[in-house]
Amino acid sequence: MNAERPGVKKPAKAQRAQKAPDKLVFLLSLVPYLLERQVVDVAEAAAHFGVSDDAIRDAVKLIATSGLPGATGTYQPNDLFDIDWDAFEDDDSIVIVHHVAIDDAPRLSAREAAALIAGLQYLTALPENANSASLASLLAKLDAGASATPTRIGVAETEADESLALIREAVADGRQLEFDYRNALGIAGRRRVDPLRVLSQDADWYLQAYCHTRDDVRNFRVDRMSALVVSDVPIDEHPGQVVPETLFQGSESDLDVVVDIAPAALPLLADYLADSTTTEIDGHLRVTLRLAHVHGLKRLVAGLPGLVTVVSPPEARAAVAGWAEAALAGYADAGSSVRDGDPAHPGDR
Amino acid sequence: MIAPVPGPERRSEPAIPAEDRLFSLVLALLATEGGLLKSDILSTVRGYAERFDRSGANVNLDRQFERDKDQIRELGIPLETVESPDRPGDNQSLRYRIPKGQYDLPDEVRFTPDELTLLGLAAEVWREASLSEDSQRALTKLRALGIEPREPVIGYAPRLRVRDAAFEPLRQALDRRQAVRFEYFKPGERAPRERRVNPLAVVMHEGRWHLHAYDLVVDEPRTFLLSRIVGGVTPIAGSTFDAPPPGIQDRVIADLAELRLRNAADLAVTAGSDAEVRLGRRAIARDEDSGVIRMHYTDAAVFADELAAYGPEVRVLAPETLRAAVQARLHAVADAHREPEVSR
Repeated sequence: MNAERPGVKKPAKAQRAQKAPDKLVFLLSLVPYLLERQVVDVAEAAAHFGVSDDAIRDAVKLIATSGLPGATGTYQPNDLFDIDWDAFEDDDSIVIVHHVAIDDAPRLSAREAAALIAGLQYLTALPENANSASLASLLAKLDAGASATPTRIGVAETEADESLALIREAVADGRQLEFDYRNALGIAGRRRVDPLRVLSQDADWYLQAYCHTRDDVRNFRVDRMSALVVSDVPIDEHPGQVVPETLFQGSESDLDVVVDIAPAALPLLADYLADSTTTEIDGHLRVTLRLAHVHGLKRLVAGLPGLVTVVSPPEARAAVAGWAEAALAGYADAGSSVRDGDPAHPGDR
Repeated sequence: MIAPVPGPERRSEPAIPAEDRLFSLVLALLATEGGLLKSDILSTVRGYAERFDRSGANVNLDRQFERDKDQIRELGIPLETVESPDRPGDNQSLRYRIPKGQYDLPDEVRFTPDELTLLGLAAEVWREASLSEDSQRALTKLRALGIEPREPVIGYAPRLRVRDAAFEPLRQALDRRQAVRFEYFKPGERAPRERRVNPLAVVMHEGRWHLHAYDLVVDEPRTFLLSRIVGGVTPIAGSTFDAPPPGIQDRVIADLAELRLRNAADLAVTAGSDAEVRLGRRAIARDEDSGVIRMHYTDAAVFADELAAYGPEVRVLAPETLRAAVQARLHAVADAHREPEVSR
């Protein structure tokens, strides 16, 4: 199957049609690369920049006929780039023999530097970034490499989770992992899994793993795992096993729920939209959500109070109402028991 | 081999691609020290010269040049204008150039293969078009250095989403130091209210994007949740401001962290519940016997939303304000989903 990990398909590189500014950046970056390397094969340059061989060849042809208008404004040969055309045409090898105007990498823009800086700050949650000194020096380099002060965007550091370090170890070593897991239905049990990869979505971290208990690939919330043990048993091969690219996938047993939402809350539910159909009713949007079960729904709706209202089916409405009412009942009961002497607050000890 | 074709013959060729014109413009502006007049550029630089009309006004070409200039600057290329000392204020005698010293990546900015690998992963964090394009462009520029990154980090797919529509316009406003106005729905208020602010920094704290800005109406700094900005973010025409001190975003993050430490809540969590497992991880103190945990939080309204999601699995003991906020949310959810009483 795949050498990377059994059963894990490498994500297909997003193939966007390149816009002129992106092509310009590519040309301005390719020139110093070719000068630095002196002699380089088309295929190697293509691999380095993550583009096709033809994209490199086209760019080299363009560069080789580009240059300066010169004193006469007529682009005379001496004012142009030149390459070893024989090496290029016969051996697919690139050698710049004459260059003008540029020889160094361009600086980053304020936005480009900021995007990488904020992305790096987010990655402080990873166990291997615990050494913040090397990260700080990297951030400083990005700052110095920008042509203007990087856009003032920051991501607060999060402490690396202990479980994440163990999971990471198991993924990297290809060893099985055991842990206690309580799923969204509240059912707890010991799981033995072949860890495949660590996914995150904002503040939430997940392990995507082949679960021996369920004989299927599952996503586990890292914060629902406890008592983790990295075993000595290597992970199994799972040829033909399709590993989903996204965190949330529908299945036939899923529940379709019609809800009314405030328009501003629509992005918050994007993961659950069953289709793109929205109807506007009295300033609200009516959409259909697809969820695995009603237990997930009641938590989702109660966590967006006043923004989402379930319209149908009735059992979904009842589940949400029941969830909120049970919570309120807890407060009512506790109200009377406080007088009997409630357990001490942690801070009181 | 292929002989470069000088100016006049090019006229009959098909239109020169935009990247060819932009590349030629950048080369020409980098090679000049004193700067080039616009008339020089339009009449000689490839991509313009073919369309230059010696006897005409060249209005379209002029517009093309303005757009190209903006695009080049957007890429972080320092394209300067220099006024003629003899004729200040005369647009026709303005000269354009790209100072090479400010174009080249400084010598001390070099990366190890490990660092490049980490930067590659940092770029993967973004899926939203604009942030993703910016980070991919940054990586392309760094590839110019010719350093091969170490093997990609296997087994990680980190993702940070930007779901707030206000993010992109605010990011632009930060760069342009442009005052903006927007409607803000402050938690606890009945309706959104217009704010006029100088945006100073945008930071992610506890999974939410915050805007730190100088409020032009109350004349004080304020912090806003992007998720509470309703409708669009509109620039206030002609109103810009001085750059805030460098690293202001780090200070805002530190202030939010300090604010978080000042707030603590005591929560009763049900044994064996999702709340016990997930909230318990963030607890700073816990009483195993009674199932009570103590947690820090930054914003009572935000934390109350989170706690409401756990339903009966968590009960707020203190503070009273948080307790009331969670109960109010639960009442709102229960009321919206209770079936109307049917009289028989």
